Amino acid sequence: MRLELKATPEEVMRAVEALQALGQEHQIPEKALFALSLALEESASNIVSYALRADPGRTFSVSFECAGGIATIELRDDGPPFDPTQAPAPEGPASDDRPPGGWGIQLVRRYMDEILYRRESGENVLRLTKRIPSRAIEQ
Amino acid sequence: MPLEIQIHKSLGPKDAGAVTVKLSGSLDTATAPELERQLAPVLAGPVRDLVYDLAGLKFISSAGLRVFAAARKQLKERGGQASFVNMQPQIQEVFEIIKALPGVAIFKDIAELDRYLAARQRAHQQNP
Repeated sequence: MRLELKATPEEVMRAVEALQALGQEHQIPEKALFALSLALEESASNIVSYALRADPGRTFSVSFECAGGIATIELRDDGPPFDPTQAPAPEGPASDDRPPGGWGIQLVRRYMDEILYRRESGENVLRLTKRIPSRAIEQ
Repeated sequence: MPLEIQIHKSLGPKDAGAVTVKLSGSLDTATAPELERQLAPVLAGPVRDLVYDLAGLKFISSAGLRVFAAARKQLKERGGQASFVNMQPQIQEVFEIIKALPGVAIFKDIAELDRYLAARQRAHQQNP
């Protein structure tokens, strides 16, 4: 499934809802689906706010795939090159004095098994993957 | 998923001045600004204690945590605090990963919060 989205928060959540519908269809367990939803929300929000400067005239794309016990989300935008995997992790717990800029990527790292970034044909391509425990294993 | 926000000012003697904010649905990049808007007039008032009831909250992202953190900072400056009750496990996990809100009180349910507020009230009466 592939979605073309405008650079707005509402469109980010439209993608999250589409992912959730697809996840239910594929019987992805609730906990894993929460993790995927959160990683998508944070990654897409970063694209909207920073790469595309919240300009609703610009678009980015999200595609989902679920096969062989692996769920994959791929995000593409034509903003300036930015590799979130190289963003420094915040040091220590958050405090009132430290701006909370790195929380999103921290959550993505924690909930996903793999985050791959590449720059391809003038686009940032971010690929997030998570192994999905099968129902049989869960029970 | 939308976010439902119910703000309730407590008039009981036990927790006078406390405001309960009940959130249901999804606190995310699209809905967090609305919570921020609705909290602004509350925080502009004399409130010291804010209780977030998250029983119906199904999803939260860093956008939501930022609203909580900003409100907490304002309360702290006036000697108040924010408490959280009825947090679902997946929401609590996000809080734990980020450690975004050092010093906030998290309670299992309203009964546990009530016991805490009553104890604090007694301590306050003894040492005003």
